[in-house]
Formats: sequence, structure tokens, C-alpha cells
Amino acid sequence: MPPGAVRINGMTSAAASLAMLERRQAVLANNLANASTHGFKQERAFATLVADAVSAVDTRVDLTPGTLAPSGNPLDLALEGDGFFVVKTPAGERHVRGGSFHLDAERRVVDHAGNPLLTESGELTLPPGALSQLEVNASGDVKLAGKAVGRLRVESIAANANPQHEGGVRFIPDASRQPVAPEARRVAQGALEESNVNPMDAMTSMLDVLHRFGAAQKTIAALDSVRGIAVTDLGKPV
Amino acid sequence: MDPALRAAATGMTAQQTRTQVIANNLANVNTPGFKRSRAQFEDLLYQTVQGTQVLGTADAQTNPAIQVGRGTRLAAVQRMHTQGAIDQTGRDLDVAIEGEGFFQVQLATGDLAYTRDGSFGISDQGVLVTSNGQAVVPTINIPNDVSEIGISPTGIVSVRRGNDVEPTEVGRLELVRFVNPSGLLALGQNLYAATAASGTPSVGFPSEDGMGRLQQGSLEASNVEIVQEMVEMITAMRAYEINSKAIKTSDEMGQIANNIAR
Repeated sequence: MPPGAVRINGMTSAAASLAMLERRQAVLANNLANASTHGFKQERAFATLVADAVSAVDTRVDLTPGTLAPSGNPLDLALEGDGFFVVKTPAGERHVRGGSFHLDAERRVVDHAGNPLLTESGELTLPPGALSQLEVNASGDVKLAGKAVGRLRVESIAANANPQHEGGVRFIPDASRQPVAPEARRVAQGALEESNVNPMDAMTSMLDVLHRFGAAQKTIAALDSVRGIAVTDLGKPV
Repeated sequence: MDPALRAAATGMTAQQTRTQVIANNLANVNTPGFKRSRAQFEDLLYQTVQGTQVLGTADAQTNPAIQVGRGTRLAAVQRMHTQGAIDQTGRDLDVAIEGEGFFQVQLATGDLAYTRDGSFGISDQGVLVTSNGQAVVPTINIPNDVSEIGISPTGIVSVRRGNDVEPTEVGRLELVRFVNPSGLLALGQNLYAATAASGTPSVGFPSEDGMGRLQQGSLEASNVEIVQEMVEMITAMRAYEINSKAIKTSDEMGQIANNIAR
């Protein structure tokens, strides 16, 4: 054992493993609860090794695109491939993968929480006219009855960035954000991105968690009985 | 309480709500002018169990924060105001709107309400009313010696009285439209009321300024598609089931943990 290393006994390792698995189950349950939340990105939980003996949990957002489901609603927007739309919330700009937007009383395009969707020139306010004549092309240019209204902002983040969830399917962008060139965008109008949770995958992971949890508990029981023997039997007169 | 149990419970509640919305859509598959609704969900606030960490010196690698979610919640039940199919009925007083707009009717309370259901009738007072007896606004009086009623695509109501050859105009139907029809409040009986979210109604004549045109002898069918709703229902049921499995797994884990101390 190198000098300065921490000696950790089996009991602590097993207890840490139980705590890690519990957290993992919490992450899986949240993913499954959001299996039908449009634009949701699942969390993946990893075990990391601390001091070569204790496992701790680490989570990452899985940004794999979900399936696009056609909805026919002119203000349902989604992105094929990577990227995010930008909405303005009272706490600052946030990234969303799309969703079902609607008009508020001032004809601004807002999300379900009332946060305005941003274009390169600010909030998107539609002139009077029927929504059925609204067109959004692949590079995010918005046209109403053939008249250009603005271009949506689409941003990407670095491949190794781990965006933070804010709830409400919004992400807090990190410093690596940058605009996506119009030709590289693939905005889909009249479609919603389904959650990227794969229920089969989550079910298998859940069974795995359950069995490992049982195994860790058995380890604790075995270590406990070893100590029991040491305490009660070793001191006995022969 | 175990966060996994709570998250899975929110998932089950969400799927239950979704099934209620689907069931209502399916129940109204034959209701003229009915618009289907869709349940929308969002994830709940996340608990940051460990903040962002810097490993080593300041410009060294950083470890992102660890966040655990708390489940899902209903964000909105959105009504989809897409055009329904136009069914030919051949009845003189059936009017379908092709395009944007709602008919205006007056409730017994005196308030205005809006509907896409144009299966009109004539009341004992000789006034044009909806199938539930609410008077259409503006009031259109139909004389009692009428032999034929005509409603033009622009909303002009004309009648042929007795043995007259020429029709006489008795009124004109108006339509109203809203900035955000999804924000209308459903009152039941195919009626909607204006809210702050829908904006105030703007009145106009059919076939003018982007308003829909009227078609006599037809009704707008419900925009519910049975296949789509069935697929949604199956998905909702499976998602419900899988969330219940998450609860069961968390419960079993709790039992195992209880067995640590004997």
C-alpha cells in the first residue's frame, strides 16, 4: 500500500455501493417517469471508483436525439441531430430541444411556461395572419404567408460539455455554446421530439441494480458474521 | 422518502392523466366540431447532489455537477385546433366552417360563447339557435312561412317565403377568431369561452380577411383520429406499467436494505 493512501474496509465499500445503487435507481425512475415527456433527455448514471475501493455515482446527460413524431401543429418545432433552440426565461437564456410553442396574447411565440422563443433579432412576434400559413424551413427562417419574420437561433455545445437540467425540459447552457451555421441546421416544423428514454434498456438496468443491491447486502452480512466470529469465538478458552 | 419511489409515482400519475385525455378524445370521435386535446409533460426540478468540482489546480479538469431528477408533471393539455373533415349532411341548417373562425352564441347567463358546431335549428321564437338552444349572435329571425333557407359561403342567410320566387335576405352570420385558439376555455356542449390566454375575439364576416368560408348542408367532423389515439393509449399503458415496475424494484431494494441488520 503506498504511503498516504486511505485504507478502507470491506464494510465501507459495500455500504458505499448500496448508496450508489440507490442513487442509480433514483436516476432510472426519473428517466422512466419522463418516458413520454417531449424533448426529454435521459440521465445516465455511472459508478466511479474513489480511492480504489469505494464506488460513487456520477451522472451525464445523454443527448442522443429522440424520434421525431409528426404532429401537424405549425408551432411544434424540433431539431434533427444536435443543437438547441434558445428561450428567454427570467433567469437567463436557456436551451431547449424544441417543443410545442404557442402564441401569447401579444402574438409572441412562447413555450408552455410562457418563455419567449428567441430569433437572431430577439423575441419572435408574428404579424396578424393565419397560423396555417406559418412556415419554418430547415435553417430556421420563419415566414408567415410568404413574408419573412425572422430567423430562429440554433446553438450547439461542445461534445464533452455536460449541460445541466433546469426542469421543464430546459437546459442551462455552458460556456462552450456557439451558434450553428444556417446551412448545418435541420429544423423540423410540425413535429415533436419524443423522449430518448428506452424503456427496455431502463428495465434491464433496473433489474441489474436490484441484483447488485442484493449482492452488496450479502457482502455486508458476510463481513458482519466474520466479525461476529472474531468477537465471540476468538476470546473463548479452549 | 425514497426519491425513486416518488419519481415513479409522478410517472404513473402523468400516464393516468394522459389516458383520461385520450379517453375523452375517443368519446368525442363523433361530436361535430370537436377538437382533440393532447397532454404535454415536463420534467420536475433537479436536485443537485454534488456541485461542479475542480480537480487539482483551477484550470485543470472540472467534474460536472451530479443532478438527480424528481419525476415528471403535466405541463399543459393543449387543444389542437386543426380542421376536421367536412361531412355532407344535406340538411339546410347544418353549416360547416372551412378555415379559421367560430360562431358566436349567447348563453342563458347572457355571456358570449364560441363554437365550431354548426348544427343549427330554429327556436319557438323563430330565432336561429344551436342544437342546445343557444341563440346565434347576431340574432337571425326566420319568418314562420319559410319554404327554403339558403346560407351563402359569405354567411348571408336568405329565405324563400310562401310562394315567392325571389329569396329575401334575413341576416348575415358572423365569425370570430382568436390570436391563440388553444387558449380558449372549453365549456362543454361544444362551446368555448374567451380567456386572457386566447386574447379578445375579433369579429368579421365569413370568407373575408382570412376568416373561413361557410358550407351549407355540411358539418365539420371531429378531428380525432382513432388509430392515432389507440397508439397513444397503448404507449400510455406500457409507460404506466413500466413505472409501476420501478416502484416495485425500489420497494424490493428497501426490503433488502432492511435485512442488513438482523
